[in-house]
Amino acid sequence: MTVEQAFREEWAHAVAILTRVLGDLELAEDAVQDAFATALERWPRDGTPRSPGAWIVTTARNRAIDRIRRERVFRQKAELLARLDAMPAEEADVTAIPDERLALVFTCCHPAIAAESRVALTLREVAGLTTPEIARAFLVAEPTLAQRLVRAKRKIRAAGIPFRVPPDHLLTERLRSVLAVLYLVFNEGYAATSGQSQVRRDLCDEAIRLAKLLAVLMPDESEVLGLLSLMLLQDSRREARAGPGGELVLLEDQDRALWSRDRIREGLRVLERAVSLGNAGPYVFQAAIAAAHAEQRPREEIVALYDRLAEIDPSPVVRLNRAVAIALAGDVEDGLSLIDQLAELEGYHLFHAARADLLRRLERRAEAAAAYREALALVANEAERTYLEGRLREVS
Amino acid sequence: MKYAFLIYGDDSEWVDLPEDERTALRAEEMPAWVALFEELGKADPNVTGHELDGRRTARVVQVKDGERLVTDGPYAETKEILGGVFLIDLPDLDEAIRLASLVPAAKHGSIEIRPLVG
Repeated sequence: MTVEQAFREEWAHAVAILTRVLGDLELAEDAVQDAFATALERWPRDGTPRSPGAWIVTTARNRAIDRIRRERVFRQKAELLARLDAMPAEEADVTAIPDERLALVFTCCHPAIAAESRVALTLREVAGLTTPEIARAFLVAEPTLAQRLVRAKRKIRAAGIPFRVPPDHLLTERLRSVLAVLYLVFNEGYAATSGQSQVRRDLCDEAIRLAKLLAVLMPDESEVLGLLSLMLLQDSRREARAGPGGELVLLEDQDRALWSRDRIREGLRVLERAVSLGNAGPYVFQAAIAAAHAEQRPREEIVALYDRLAEIDPSPVVRLNRAVAIALAGDVEDGLSLIDQLAELEGYHLFHAARADLLRRLERRAEAAAAYREALALVANEAERTYLEGRLREVS
Repeated sequence: MKYAFLIYGDDSEWVDLPEDERTALRAEEMPAWVALFEELGKADPNVTGHELDGRRTARVVQVKDGERLVTDGPYAETKEILGGVFLIDLPDLDEAIRLASLVPAAKHGSIEIRPLVG
């Protein structure tokens, strides 16, 4: 195993264990970082240790001791060193330490942390991405992101955000926050166009990897599997959704030969498991809709799934998507009148884009052009802009 | 971990009510407050809390260039002003949020949770 592979597999594990012992995420991260730096020095020279994960944890423990001796005042020193003393010092005993990664995930996604910081923190602490990588993926300046991470870690300590898996009465709400973070990571990568940096598109893989980890740690939560399935199915179309010039290609116009069969199969398998657990939530339904598209099911089935989704999640965006599904199933007029009832979405470019598209199908060209213009005034993504401009030319 | 719960609300109508109406309103909310005190006391036997008198009694003191400046308060010219304070020692923020949401004033005002430094 190379240090890089060990990093991918063992980073979160080591950070979580050290955070549990030290009660301090910042110190834990620094110590684990030190341990990997030592690994980079030693492993190529001395060979990879028999149990790389255990080696990292014990080395991080020792590095934490060094840091505490150097940096902390006497009162803290004694307490922190006593805690580390209680930790196994032998690699062979490290495997007995329980897995704390789930607590790490929930702490990084605590609602008291600013939403944008939750995403950055999860990518740093759980996925092990570096600060420059996260900054590039989110198109923010590195010092800004570094500052954001420092503030979030300080907040965890200063505000007393607990390091634990929430008790049952908080679990549903907190899990929703965790899943929202993962989906945000995924969408950030999914929205990246082919011209943009690979690190942005890698966010999709990162989100899927995190969801798989979560699915292993919480195997009975149907929404975790629902989100994983949804991401796999969306990701299966990654290559098909952009044309040669990076322009957006809509689902119905995509070259299905470019869809990833493996991703679809995996997505369907995960969905099946999610459904078998019962209690389907919004992610399971969204995954079921994505599956119906992948399997090219009849339009009516897709509308029926949207009906069910809108029952449990009557948010305006869901109602917009349901209206589009109804229109694509043949009732364009009905779809349009449903969209026209969603005035609260007027600041959302896809509201205008969807309206424009239905008006275009109804040959109401002047109204369609006006709606495309409204969408263009709000759109941020280049590929979507190019697409909308093309449509606008068609109807003008 | 020590926290302050800062209780904010709009007292502009409250201060103009006749004393008997205030007493009646207070009595109405009293069971909820009693339940709160019980919960807070269970979480931290040393919890302390105080209600502050209305905005008209506030005076603001500032010292600028050695000059003392005293004005009628409250300090912030907002509708919602600080009306009460709890100081309490709790295991973590989740517990603080749970208890703060039991403060009856959360229904018509807001409870700000502030960790104490040190």
